[in-house]
Amino acid sequence: MKITFVVNRRSRTIDAPPLARLLDVLRGPLGLTGTKEGCGEGECGSCTVLLDGVPVNACLVAAGQCDGRRVLTVEGLGKRAGLSALQDAFVKEGGAQCGICTPGFLMSAHALLAANPRPGEGEIRESIAGNVCRCTGYQRIVESIRRAAKERTPREPG
Amino acid sequence: MNPAEVALTPFERPSTLAELCRTLSARAGRKERTVLLAGGTDWIVERRLAQPEDTEDLPLVLDVSRLPELRGIHVAKERAEIGAAATFLEIRHHPALSRRAPVLTAMAREVGAVQIQARGTLGGNLATASPAADGAAALMALDADVVLASAHGERRVPMTGFFTGYRKTQRAEDEAIVRVEFALPRAGAHQAWRKVGTRAAQAISKVAFAAVVELDGGRGVRAGFGMASVAPVTVSLPTVRALGLAASPASVSDDELDAATRRDIAPIDDLRSTAAYRAHVASALVKNFFQALRTSGGS
Repeated sequence: MKITFVVNRRSRTIDAPPLARLLDVLRGPLGLTGTKEGCGEGECGSCTVLLDGVPVNACLVAAGQCDGRRVLTVEGLGKRAGLSALQDAFVKEGGAQCGICTPGFLMSAHALLAANPRPGEGEIRESIAGNVCRCTGYQRIVESIRRAAKERTPREPG
Repeated sequence: MNPAEVALTPFERPSTLAELCRTLSARAGRKERTVLLAGGTDWIVERRLAQPEDTEDLPLVLDVSRLPELRGIHVAKERAEIGAAATFLEIRHHPALSRRAPVLTAMAREVGAVQIQARGTLGGNLATASPAADGAAALMALDADVVLASAHGERRVPMTGFFTGYRKTQRAEDEAIVRVEFALPRAGAHQAWRKVGTRAAQAISKVAFAAVVELDGGRGVRAGFGMASVAPVTVSLPTVRALGLAASPASVSDDELDAATRRDIAPIDDLRSTAAYRAHVASALVKNFFQALRTSGGS
């Protein structure tokens, strides 16, 4: 099936089985290996990407359901010139350790800040409740997101 | 789902409900299997864990996630209609629903985490018919009707009779769940949602409880309940409901509530919890709700 969708602001057309997972299509034909597979069952959030701006588990989305839609992956956050403010905050606050869960956390946090630029701690924690991290104990991730919210300039694209 | 199944399973996206019903009717007539795919949060996982299927006999997958007739949430003065493919996230953020049916908003907020809420739908929750269906419990408490469509037209089935057995429903092979409808509780109705699980997000319920009771001068004039993960199907607690419709629900004793709850559930030991724990929690949730009716002065 020909699937045409916008990935990281660029229109892409691929030929893939409609029931292939969005996760495999991103990592395979599109070469976007920033999105990681954790559990493959929608529990851990490692493969979180934004579908029309909303966080979803890419392991639970059929590629055929993405035709005509908009996908944002971790590769779409930064620019060639550097990291996004959110990514930078994760570096500065030690929000990333082994790194497998990090792209998923970044996407969940990115969606939160796009909708709610000044989230409280409860809102931050709820937004990442679908992402599992086995290294950090979450505190530094929460602090990273809080720092990004504080430092975010209003001009940064949502 | 193994690579051969992924490559070979046919997939279509009907663009109207009429087209969907025609396809379902033709395939049911030929005894061919069809899967209606919405958010995929159950089916995609189950197919991945299941034994490989015979590639000569694969079902047709119909993507209904964006079918216009299954989308949308309409809240009128006295009734609400929620499309079968409306997501839990859309339900959660619907302002009129949160004012008029907070039991549903609270349920949607606790189904999975945001990633699951963004994909999961009430139609999928009902069709999968898991005994742990949070959505079904809330809809039972609201006394909702499920609207099914086929080539022959629409029919409605009350939520309280929708499940016929473990993972079995009233939906026939040639029918699609189109929407759910319910009468909105009046202002001041007592509505409660409680989910008891291993952790706040993502957990599948050990017990989930939904309740809607309206009192008029202390009399129970509307009562609906739903409880998940305490029987082979999500249950509507009919004996408890009768107590909610009593002359004075606020005066029902804890012993009566315990006996009613015991009669209405059939919990088992499984990987998530034990029958004894579930029975204990179920009774406590029911008693807490009636206790809240008492402290509100029974009005």
